[in-house]
Amino acid sequence: MARIADPDEELVRRVGQGDAAAIQAMVARKLPRILALAKRMLSDPIEAEDVAQEAMLRAWRQAPKWAPGKAKFDTWLHRVALNLCYDRLRRRREVVTDTPPERIDDGPAPDQGLLSAETGVRVDAALSRLPDRQREAIVLCHYQELTNIEAAALMEVSVEALESLLSRGRRALRVSLADLADDRGADRG
Amino acid sequence: MNAERLQQLVAAYGADPRRWPEAERDAGRALLAAGPGDATVEAARDLDYLLWASPQPAVSMALRDRVLASAAAAGLTPRRVRLWRDRLALTFGAGWAVAACAGVAAGVLVSAQISADASADAVLYQASQSALDDSEMLG
Repeated sequence: MARIADPDEELVRRVGQGDAAAIQAMVARKLPRILALAKRMLSDPIEAEDVAQEAMLRAWRQAPKWAPGKAKFDTWLHRVALNLCYDRLRRRREVVTDTPPERIDDGPAPDQGLLSAETGVRVDAALSRLPDRQREAIVLCHYQELTNIEAAALMEVSVEALESLLSRGRRALRVSLADLADDRGADRG
Repeated sequence: MNAERLQQLVAAYGADPRRWPEAERDAGRALLAAGPGDATVEAARDLDYLLWASPQPAVSMALRDRVLASAAAAGLTPRRVRLWRDRLALTFGAGWAVAACAGVAAGVLVSAQISADASADAVLYQASQSALDDSEMLG
């Protein structure tokens, strides 16, 4: 099997040796990325922080024994974070609650000055309503910017299956956000 | 590459060719440029723009500090501290050596942390800004 080029290889090696500067750099490089993944998968910022913290802890444990060349460290870290996310998603489904999930207010359009923030809230809400696997596909490809091959491998599906998930997810998002897209079209004139 | 495959690419990956599979990117670009404007591509471009409105969560100082502290808890001590610990263990016994090195390791990590705080914060700040830069570039 051909050796896989990994831009994190040297950094992981130094982290494994306890290099304090490398540890700092790893946190700066990976923590925002993993937090963003967890936040978009789970919607809950507290749970997202828990997942990010646990994923990084596992990264510290793995670094001293990381064998370069077989996989990218970033891909491995994504796998760890996704597994932690799915653990939480499964736990949610097992918990019966009388309190309905918090709904985003779909009321009248806000003032222009708040449009970007409100749009972001609407987009995140629409993402959270997607089936888990469609959301995962969109988060990995669009936000985490993994290649289709990397994302398909992480999700343990073929590229064709990945594209099907992406297409269905994007179609559902277009429906959810149709009014915002119409506003954008009107602005374009 | 044909019109049907181009539609599949746009439906799955969006209107930005930079997000299409590398092997199909150039051919897709050429076909897109050669054809008339397409409502499907425009709709995909609108969705791409909206998706970038999703805010990039900021890493709190508290979370960063917990993650940094967990590195020491996971046993990531600098090599020179490990060598020193081994020498102390030979001379004084394992218990004393571990206690001494835990204090040194914490001190090394804290001092490195303090000296690197400004640059780490700058890197974190830049990382949080990069999503905004990307949205401007791709939107």
